[in-house]
Amino acid sequence: MPNIIEVKDLTKKYGELLAVDHISFSVKEGEIFGILGPNGAGKTTTLEMIEGLKRPSSGSIMLDGKDVERETEAVKAVIGVQLQSSSFFEALTLTELLDTFGAMYNRRVDPMELLEEVQLTDKAKAQAKELSGGQRQRLSIAIGMVNNPRVLFLDEPTTGLDPQARHNLWDLILQVRKKGTTVVLTTHYMDEAEVLCERVAIMDHGKIVSLDTPRMLIEQLLAKGFSKPVLQQKANLEDVFLATTGHALRE
Amino acid sequence: MYTTYKLTIAAIKMLTRNRQAFFFTLVMPVFIMLIFGYIGFDRPQLIDVGVSSEKPTPQTAALAEQIKKFPNLTIHEGTLADEQEQLNQGNRAAVLDFSGSSIVAYTNASKPESQAVVSILNQFISSATLQSAHVTPLVKVESHEVNAHNLRYIEFLLPGILALSIMQMSVFSVSFMFTQYKQNGVLKRLLATPMKPIQFVAANAITRLMVSVVQAVIFIVMGILLFHIHVVGSYALLLLCVILGASMFLGLGFTISGLAKTVDVVPVFANIIVFPMMFLGGTFFAISNMPGWLQVVAKLLPLTYFADSLREIMTKGAGLATLWPDLLGMAVWGVILITLATVTFRFQEREAA
Repeated sequence: MPNIIEVKDLTKKYGELLAVDHISFSVKEGEIFGILGPNGAGKTTTLEMIEGLKRPSSGSIMLDGKDVERETEAVKAVIGVQLQSSSFFEALTLTELLDTFGAMYNRRVDPMELLEEVQLTDKAKAQAKELSGGQRQRLSIAIGMVNNPRVLFLDEPTTGLDPQARHNLWDLILQVRKKGTTVVLTTHYMDEAEVLCERVAIMDHGKIVSLDTPRMLIEQLLAKGFSKPVLQQKANLEDVFLATTGHALRE
Repeated sequence: MYTTYKLTIAAIKMLTRNRQAFFFTLVMPVFIMLIFGYIGFDRPQLIDVGVSSEKPTPQTAALAEQIKKFPNLTIHEGTLADEQEQLNQGNRAAVLDFSGSSIVAYTNASKPESQAVVSILNQFISSATLQSAHVTPLVKVESHEVNAHNLRYIEFLLPGILALSIMQMSVFSVSFMFTQYKQNGVLKRLLATPMKPIQFVAANAITRLMVSVVQAVIFIVMGILLFHIHVVGSYALLLLCVILGASMFLGLGFTISGLAKTVDVVPVFANIIVFPMMFLGGTFFAISNMPGWLQVVAKLLPLTYFADSLREIMTKGAGLATLWPDLLGMAVWGVILITLATVTFRFQEREAA
């Protein structure tokens, strides 16, 4: 698979602080790529530089064969973005929001089709502020998909959601990937990365400390002689929670 | 073009569905105008005069009758003691006692109009004296009435309130919305699309210019229907002034959004600038009534140029020849405020470093 994103020696300085410290990695076309790391590790800054929202202090980013710094507008036309804060215009219905965002890409979109994909057709006439957390994130994804992007960026998409909404969003992300869209996401949840991501990069203090498939990262750790007391569990607490409360979405 | 058109449609929907904005843009100014329009500050004020007459002579009784018929006086008849009590409480400008053959005038020193009552009385006495002596007056005053177009208060007020409402709408609707969108990340989200920020700004500016024209239409129609004003000057010039005035205040609105980091400080910034202009900008009273130094300041305010231009066109039918100082004033303010807006307002907080 060819690489759709190539990041080389990327750095972001805020005064003396190196928020992103000479990182290099690439994302393969069609994969779900995860960036993990504690708060302040530089995940969001890295994402925003790739999205053309922040200028790198040094280094280069190529996306779909385009230089993000020099061809920012062309890059923005082929990516979809979901930011951590998912606020949208007030007083517009979801249909009108999707229509307006489509216009920003100079496109006429079919809002109902997009809402269908994220299971929000019954909210077509509602306003964004009336949505629950999970619905808001699904709306964010629908808005991110208005231009049928090559790459979809999701910044902590499941933070603050209940388990039902989280599982539902995972299904949605897998569905997006199935359509051929590459997904780059950040997360704090290791189970999420294990379920969704083909490959993950772990960041800390602005550096990528390891990058591989989740399976390989675990193998490598075990190969170093890591072990923890093994408790053979046939179910965990989340399984209990979902078995008692059901998989149906609450909102 | 398609993008800007669709964004304008969206901006119109957002603005018209905002009840708070609707209230402050249209309902409130209309109320203010109705209240001030119906109070009628331009009716002549009546002077309260107390009259007491106990056993008057025919001469004093005749004078008392003349005084009672004089227009602009409200006559209160009563006993001397009662009327003096009213005078002491400040409810009378003067009390005239027509008892016996002499007339005593009690006046309130703190009311300037009480002197007028005394001179009116004196005039009656002298003309009565002349008449009884069968003397023809040396000079006769002949008065001709001219039906000049006197500026009624509502005609003064309406252009001022219109200018004020357009200022409020332009400044507040822009500064609140854009600061909120900056604060909650909406503007950042827009930056992630290929749309140019200027397209979004233009869509919102166009929307507000349209609203200001709608405001002008509503005010003028209301003035014509309810207060029987007539617009003397050209509507095309009015439109030009409305657009110019609204543009400079949109510049101010965006400057405030640029300076304010959070929505909480928007009303503080906006009111510091807008509130003094409400009183100094010639909306409710003429600038010529202010002390000299304040007049200098007041004349340079953007709202003053704006209100004055609307008033000159509507009441005097002013053309470009007399309007140019106002137009120049607005143009200079427009350039200053829009430049400030482009310097301060960003879709994203500037990065340190």
